[in-house]
Amino acid sequence: MFDRRTGWVLALVLLLAAADAPAAPDAQAVLEASDAVRNPAKPFGLTVSLIEYRNGQQVGDNTLQVYSRADTKSGQFRSLVRFVAPPRDADKLMLKNGNDMWFFDPSSKATIRISPQQRLLGQAANGDVVTVNFAKDYHAQLAAEEDVQDGDRQTRHCYKLAVAATASGVTYDHLDMWVAVGSNRPVKARYYAESGRLLKTAYFRRFQQQLGGERPTETIIIDGLDPNWVTVMRYSDYAWRDVPEVWLQRDYLARFKPE
Amino acid sequence: MDIGHAILCRMRQTCGLGLLFLVVAGKALAQDSEAAALGLADTAPVASAVSRSWRLYVEEALEQVDMHFGLADERLHRSTLDLQIDKTLEPGWRLVFADRLDLGDVPNFAGVASTNQVNTLKEAYVSWAAQTNVLLDAGRINPRLGVATGYNPTDVFRDDALRSVDSSDPVSLRENRMGSVMLRGQTLWVGGSLTALISPKLAEQPNSAGYSLDIGATNHELRWMLVGSEQLSESINPQLLIWGDQGGAPQIGLNLTGLLSDAAVAYLEYFGGRSPSLAAEAMLRGNDTAYRSRLAGGITYTFANKLSWTAEYEFSGAGMNKEQWQLLQRGPVDMYVAYREFGFNAQDMVTRRAAFVSASWQDAGVRNLDLQAWTKFDLIDDSRLIWLEARYHWTRAEAAVQRQVNAGATLSDYGALPQARVWTVLFRYYF
Repeated sequence: MFDRRTGWVLALVLLLAAADAPAAPDAQAVLEASDAVRNPAKPFGLTVSLIEYRNGQQVGDNTLQVYSRADTKSGQFRSLVRFVAPPRDADKLMLKNGNDMWFFDPSSKATIRISPQQRLLGQAANGDVVTVNFAKDYHAQLAAEEDVQDGDRQTRHCYKLAVAATASGVTYDHLDMWVAVGSNRPVKARYYAESGRLLKTAYFRRFQQQLGGERPTETIIIDGLDPNWVTVMRYSDYAWRDVPEVWLQRDYLARFKPE
Repeated sequence: MDIGHAILCRMRQTCGLGLLFLVVAGKALAQDSEAAALGLADTAPVASAVSRSWRLYVEEALEQVDMHFGLADERLHRSTLDLQIDKTLEPGWRLVFADRLDLGDVPNFAGVASTNQVNTLKEAYVSWAAQTNVLLDAGRINPRLGVATGYNPTDVFRDDALRSVDSSDPVSLRENRMGSVMLRGQTLWVGGSLTALISPKLAEQPNSAGYSLDIGATNHELRWMLVGSEQLSESINPQLLIWGDQGGAPQIGLNLTGLLSDAAVAYLEYFGGRSPSLAAEAMLRGNDTAYRSRLAGGITYTFANKLSWTAEYEFSGAGMNKEQWQLLQRGPVDMYVAYREFGFNAQDMVTRRAAFVSASWQDAGVRNLDLQAWTKFDLIDDSRLIWLEARYHWTRAEAAVQRQVNAGATLSDYGALPQARVWTVLFRYYF
């Protein structure tokens, strides 16, 4: 049994030890910082090329131009996407404003509303190709701090965040995200359905200086069920773009003519 | 410890080790496949696609047609050249041009083919962005409205706009039609828009000459329209319109969509006002102007495997009810033919009620293979049109097989079409 004085000394030692240990980071702040690494703060445009593989064979490729600006109210990005290639899809447009999604075909001049489940590409969800601020629609908790291999095959010391959706109608129910300690670079993520099934794994890599920050210029998506189904998404032509608020509506789609 | 307990302990240890092995092996396998995926990404080619201001394709189609009424079966061949240009002339100025040339056996709306050369100038207009939110256009423009799939009552510029009909597919009908010559202005604000347009009368009659601009088909009367929309919430963005033509009462229209879930979209399209029936417009009866409604409403549901189903109900208060339809079918036959021709050209429903069901499956089990099937039921006479398509596409080319079946009693909506069954094989190449 401890006497009273020993108890006080032990409590003091524990307090000092606790003060000396690094404070646990605010997981939500880490997620937010990781969003900021992927997404510029002002309206911008970029080109996304997607190359899709099945069992090592290339089965599809698409090129898209994406124009994005953050909504002043929700903070979430709204995007205009123009299909550049393949030729049969050229000049088709998609407007993504949260769950309000519209698709325009210049051949038929039809502007039709699509549901979030209506994918226009192969493996990538519509939400994958446009800019997303996870911190706006998801809540993060620190699950672990561990070393993982990143997409460039370097070992990175990361925060592992358990991220769960707080808004309805988002692309993923929950995800695990590894964010590099210190730089807040997104390194890797696993996306899950509500049932807990792994939908896909993504690696963020090839960081380059773009629009005032080190940003990933490549995302590798690996299917959760069939790991031989792989999509390589490459980002290029980053540029600040004027994306006026009035463009981000259904009745402007037929008018959109990117620079 | 007795023997039974010992065996149980051993089994637990073995199972535990087995499970541990499975977890470790599974993790190693996942790491291996992820490493392989990253290796594959290292070798991925650099995309070289650049945005272009034009799109051109050629299409070759062969059709085998079994005819109704004991008519001789037909074998048709068609070649098509389709060009679309959308070019920025200088900042704020844009040129839009779309043209289609059909050569060979070119069917008209009634399915009657003739060896011909038919050029369709779909669009040719100049657009000027006076400000970011003020846009003006002049020329031949194809304004397309409507949120429904099989029947678009608010798509008011569809009548007389088709010169050649290569398919009954509603998408194809929309793609291949001519616009009308008009002046159009649009102003936009955050979450809303107002468009005004006027399309003058420029000619009296359509011109069926192969290379005619056919201004008389699209501009045979003065027409005008106002279209407004306002984003009321993330899920509701109604579009309202007022439309008028020479001598007729203004008509109002509504396009409304709603997101029912992550996978389901509901839509409603309404068009109504005081107007004559289709029969009166076809000169089969005297002026019977009354308030008439046309509408189409439905739901599209998409499954996770990219299979989408659409079910749609269609109604036209200007079409014939069962008694009127049966009376017309009893004769005289030239009145029946005149009514059907008018309905074809107007792209409107000849009877009052119909249902449309479609299924569309992108990457149907095989990447790049798209399957599509739709059927239209005439709910007045139970006739039906069934349309099936399998289309495979490569980077620049696509090949498709289509099957169309028109079934029903003689002189029913679809049973009276000259073609009974059509096989089409087509090949398209994009430059």
